[in-house]
Amino acid sequence: MSTSLRIKQQPPARDVRPAPGKAGRGRRLDILPYALVTPLTLFIVGLALIPAGFTIVEAFFRVQPLNPPDEFNGLDNFRQLFADHAITASMGNTAIYVVIGVLLSTVLAIAMAVTLQKEFRGRSILIAVLILPWALPGVVEGIVWGSIWDSNTGLLNSLLNSFHVIDHYMVFLGQNHFLTILGIELVQVWQITPLSTLLVLAALQNIPADLYEAATLDGCSGWTTFSRITLPLARPGITIAMVQAIIATLNVFDQPYILNGSAATGASVTMQTYFISFQNLNFGEGYALSLLITLATLAASLLVLKFVYRPVEF
Amino acid sequence: MISKRNRLRNVALVAGAAALSVAATGCSGGGSSASSQTKDVTITVALFGAPPPQKSLDEFKKSTGITVKWSTIDWDSLQTKIAAASTSNTYFADATDVDWSRVGQEGKLGWFLPMEKYIDQKAYAADMPQLSSFTSNGHIVGVPFDASYLVTTVNKQMFAKAGITTMPKTIDEYTRDLQKVKASGVSPTPLNIPFNAAEGLSTYWYQTTQAFGGSILDEAGKPQFTSPDSPGYKAAQWMVDALKNGLVPAGNINVSDSQGQQTLMAKGVTASTFADYSGNVGSLYDVPASSSVTGKLQYIPTPGLSGTTANVSNPDGIGILKTAKYPEAAAKFIEWFTSAENQADFAGASGPDKVMPGYFLPSRLSGLTKLTSAKGLAGGQELTSMLKTSKPVFPAGAPVWYPQFSNAVYTNLHAAAAGSMSVDAAIKTIADTATKLAGQ
Repeated sequence: MSTSLRIKQQPPARDVRPAPGKAGRGRRLDILPYALVTPLTLFIVGLALIPAGFTIVEAFFRVQPLNPPDEFNGLDNFRQLFADHAITASMGNTAIYVVIGVLLSTVLAIAMAVTLQKEFRGRSILIAVLILPWALPGVVEGIVWGSIWDSNTGLLNSLLNSFHVIDHYMVFLGQNHFLTILGIELVQVWQITPLSTLLVLAALQNIPADLYEAATLDGCSGWTTFSRITLPLARPGITIAMVQAIIATLNVFDQPYILNGSAATGASVTMQTYFISFQNLNFGEGYALSLLITLATLAASLLVLKFVYRPVEF
Repeated sequence: MISKRNRLRNVALVAGAAALSVAATGCSGGGSSASSQTKDVTITVALFGAPPPQKSLDEFKKSTGITVKWSTIDWDSLQTKIAAASTSNTYFADATDVDWSRVGQEGKLGWFLPMEKYIDQKAYAADMPQLSSFTSNGHIVGVPFDASYLVTTVNKQMFAKAGITTMPKTIDEYTRDLQKVKASGVSPTPLNIPFNAAEGLSTYWYQTTQAFGGSILDEAGKPQFTSPDSPGYKAAQWMVDALKNGLVPAGNINVSDSQGQQTLMAKGVTASTFADYSGNVGSLYDVPASSSVTGKLQYIPTPGLSGTTANVSNPDGIGILKTAKYPEAAAKFIEWFTSAENQADFAGASGPDKVMPGYFLPSRLSGLTKLTSAKGLAGGQELTSMLKTSKPVFPAGAPVWYPQFSNAVYTNLHAAAAGSMSVDAAIKTIADTATKLAGQ
């Protein structure tokens, strides 16, 4: 392939500041930009940064309304969390959710985005339909998929039985650990893949058509075109899709809670955060676990940035 | 003339100022200052069910001058909001849910105003057998607004097909009858036990333990189910054996209580639920839209060790949050909401216009009697006599650590049913949890 394609650092943004003297006329402070960003800034500071700071501080305090007073207890909350088998088991479950969810949703998103990359009849309708699972609340999806996985009256059992694949109804969720996690995570993959697809598709649509034309002229196979042009140039979009998948899977709550109750076979870390904070009213440990989830999200996202993200320039 | 740019700037400034003031108000937090006003006020009532008919609420407004803003929130979110609002001393609602299982916790924390200040405690207690479930530290935390207790339901047609015409009175007879139904082929899996790891499994175990002649905890919170001879241990073993022996559908390992009632009992897949919801015959099994077994299910006095046994109660209550803006008005609403007449109307005594969707049964004996005589409530006589003798799970009130205990109950019983641990190990873990929590 003769087409030269390079992935390189973007040049620094051009300095668009006006020449000295022009903006300084009258030395009047233009407050419009500040006024415009104020609501958003307040929103982010009030609903994200302050609670985050509060969580970090309180994670090192014993905060139990049933057992006052609140007092500094160092790393005790973290020690308690790691000594609790239910918590460590849920950490293991969540790690599997993340691995399955991120890999599967990314692969499916790339496949679907490539399919949707070229114009064809009904493409717009297909994109509109594609987004539906993402728009549905997790609880609704849990209920819908519950009737599919149901071991007594479920659709899947009924279908498998009709086609003589099985001779008696199977228990998909609740008995076998891995099968339970897989069944639950497939539901989440069904939910998060549409957004991942749109993110990857947006990246693909930026790829200049002449690169594909050049590849065709050079006689590149479909796979070569995909692996040498599509995939490398879609990396920014794939990175964002993977990060959003990491955030979603690390925080999975609705699907395991609706489909498998509180059973250890599928309980996630965020479920445990809920139980600790609002069932046991042990807010200190709840803050500590939330902080761990945040750190895990940050670490996993940084790994993706390091190994997947590459800036591209056309 | 103001230029377009200046106009935009002004709009932006106003928006910024508004956002600042909203944020400042939000950050100031703080609780509400309560008012004793009861005329021309609007109160917020937050519950997990649909509101009473608008016509009824309008009548209440006309007679009291109190407007009710009803907020429907699912049960789990409601508990979260109650905890969050109470701990941060923020207004959330005037009247809201008090679940029997949270009474110990909420009573100790003082999140609700003592109801004895607003109601005639003696008169309420005489007409509401479940009021005792809402007492903590000598205070009434909430008032039960509907009656909920666990009952045994049986598909009499399926039992009759298996040759059973006399209903079982003991747990042994009940087990033999279920085996007979299974052996006859009428239902290969005749018993519905919801083994999903959720509260419904815990309450099922409490009722079964009651049937085996025992209780869960003593007054000090000490577990009463550790010995293999104890009723609680036997109840757990009986439930798990029922699944392993095929009396319960294998898929029930992941079936919740309401799911089992809707998809198994109401569809004629299973023939009996040992610990069913009170009111299900009239509100679910006899409703053609949701059931294929209309007219075939009935309540039976719950079989016990040597005869029928008491029914364990798990009622829903309503109380006044300490952060309420209008506690007096909220008290007036609760008095109206839990009156015998309204309770009977909400359950259908005066026709569909006054029905409150999802409402089960009156918590007042007088309300239940009114309902039974007005519309021939399915199993009304049985339900009234069962309500009279119903017992709280914890006679001394739910312990403050109940939610944590219940979590241990349902996760470990589920694990025993799934085969990932033995019944013995599950019971030991539950008992250890109770002992640890009681000792804190």
